[in-house]
Amino acid sequence: MDFDEMDDMKEARERARTFAEKYFTEELAESADRDEKFPMDLVEISRKEKILDFSNPWKILVSIEELCRRDPGLGISVTITAFGSENLMLFGSDYLKEHYMNSVLEGKKTMGLGVTEAGGGSDVSSVRTEAKKEGDHYVLNGGKMFISNGQIADFFVVLARTSPPPSPEKRHRGLSTFVVESSAPGFTANKLHGKLGVRATNTAELIFDNVKVPEQNLIGEEGKGFYYIMTFFNISRIYVAAQGLGIAQGALDRMMEFAKNSTNLANEGDLKEEIHFAIAEVATRIEAARNITYKAASYLFNFNPNPVVTSMAKYYAAETAVFAAKKALEITGLTGITSKLERVYRDSKILEIWEGTSEVEKLIISRMMTKNQGGN
Amino acid sequence: MEEEYGILENTVRDFSAKFIENNALKIENEGINETLIRSLAEQGFLSMAYQQGVGKAIDMKAFALILENLAKTSPSVAVKVLLTNLFLTLATEESILNEVSSGSKSGTVVLSELLGGYSPKERLAINGNRIQGKKEFVVDSDASFIITLVDSGELVLLKSGFSKDAKHKRLGFRGLDFSTISVNSDNFDVIAKNGLVELRNAYSRMAIPIAAIAIGIAEGSISKAVEYAKVRMAFNHYLKDFQPIAFNLSSNLAELSMLKQYLSYIVGLEKNSTEALFLKTRSMEAAKEISKNALQTHGGYGYLEDFGVEKFYRDSMALSILFYNEEKEMEQLSEYVFDSKAGFV
Repeated sequence: MDFDEMDDMKEARERARTFAEKYFTEELAESADRDEKFPMDLVEISRKEKILDFSNPWKILVSIEELCRRDPGLGISVTITAFGSENLMLFGSDYLKEHYMNSVLEGKKTMGLGVTEAGGGSDVSSVRTEAKKEGDHYVLNGGKMFISNGQIADFFVVLARTSPPPSPEKRHRGLSTFVVESSAPGFTANKLHGKLGVRATNTAELIFDNVKVPEQNLIGEEGKGFYYIMTFFNISRIYVAAQGLGIAQGALDRMMEFAKNSTNLANEGDLKEEIHFAIAEVATRIEAARNITYKAASYLFNFNPNPVVTSMAKYYAAETAVFAAKKALEITGLTGITSKLERVYRDSKILEIWEGTSEVEKLIISRMMTKNQGGN
Repeated sequence: MEEEYGILENTVRDFSAKFIENNALKIENEGINETLIRSLAEQGFLSMAYQQGVGKAIDMKAFALILENLAKTSPSVAVKVLLTNLFLTLATEESILNEVSSGSKSGTVVLSELLGGYSPKERLAINGNRIQGKKEFVVDSDASFIITLVDSGELVLLKSGFSKDAKHKRLGFRGLDFSTISVNSDNFDVIAKNGLVELRNAYSRMAIPIAAIAIGIAEGSISKAVEYAKVRMAFNHYLKDFQPIAFNLSSNLAELSMLKQYLSYIVGLEKNSTEALFLKTRSMEAAKEISKNALQTHGGYGYLEDFGVEKFYRDSMALSILFYNEEKEMEQLSEYVFDSKAGFV
């Protein structure tokens, strides 16, 4: 068993770190947070410099870590412009790959994923948006909530109901996924203001009012949308875990900086074990979270996904990020609360909520384990 | 006597419902306006520590009740009331006491020297008959009068000759300004030569009121979470029907209930400084934990300011940094536990 990173991972990590140090200025991070403004110029630069190399998922993973380590809001903004593209990669027709996916991977277009609905949250099967077949197209009516890239994406992968569920217990049946262009008549995106954190990212409510979607924009087979989305979550949750690792590592960096650059560890001869212990606890959790995340990634990237380990990674890395940000603020006190750490504290909390709350992840872990469907 | 406190509690709740609840988000985004300050003064909330014609005195139980109930809807307003009354305990000039307690002028106290992670970059010094320099970490920096320590250790009251400078990042209490101030003033009083001791004593006397704000934050959080869990459905069930949510919130409420009972008990004690620290320590943790659970219960909606939960998450952490020094206060507790200085090597 070799725990050393591969050379191309090291190189990607270094590139992302250098990029973040150069472009993620505190001024930009603060203004994007204050004004809730998506940093499009920054995204363009990152595309030109090819910070995300879609040919190697390991490189994406460590790049996300490094970018979020520097600043979660900017880091996530730069790394989610292709959010949902795996649906097209895995289940899309050649037409969809050529017309939509490639342009995103080439950095020419931005996409998003429309799954969550108002009042739906992590309960994906409760989708109420409908898609009715009419001739050679579908007509979409309904809405989506908390959609990343909502106002800036050129198109979305949208989950909608194409047939009624056979029973209340089988609501996950009869759902399908489509590519919906944001320029389509009847499509509206309303920005959500006043988020606690990740305010640089663009989040919106989507409304579909008789939106016509060509039938060739159906992804895969009709009625299999729920399974496609669950498959996608098993990928995206690993990247959310990477966000958590980066955020936690960034918080630990601040704690280390505070300990080294101030007299806090040696004030009046005190040893200040509280600070030592906090650093040790956070560092240990990060190490554990990184090991689970890389294990989940290893399963996935070798085409043998393990949803149990993936959910463990997402749940634990998210909680580690929140824990680290909290500890960092508590230890650094006035220094921290008047620094970027206060933003990191706000940003980190979303990780326990999006892409499946911690509670949902725990349910997945225990239910699949009791059915002997994963884990170790 | 208990009946009077019951009436007071209802009065604060009615006040909050009338003046704060529907404006809570506006207060966060635009600050506490003069109308609200006048209303707080009319209710007597700004004159708990000093009353014209009566002098300085404070009914700690009443004060705690007011802060707790204000914090349930707006921790910013509660902190404004706390700082105003803390100012009144330290200021001495009668005209200023009257102006601040009546709400026509405002006063605040800079506590930064008492807090963890204090690392000033600016200097504030007395040069002859002037005070010059800058003071960082001023909560409610819009105030007309500011009490602060200067570098040489005196506690001074600045009456004029200061202005707001760079704003600090604000995790919490967004209804109040949080800035550095620039000072060039010959209009000041020295309140105490050994200012740190005076400031520390005044701060220590506020342990119960500060704990009351933490308890109010926790109560505000949990009441929103409980209401939400009753009506929000997921996977064909109300959230309240899921064990983790029901049990967590119930456990939170049990802890909160005990903290409230303890507060009620210790305000009646003749000496309660150690008990006040017990209460403050546990209340700070409870506020952070309960507001986090409340936000999590709301899921994505909890992350949006419109639902009024995220501010408790921010404010509970801000309270534990701006009005609590975990290390120093735990050292005090350890000294009590071990009957000698403890927590040092």
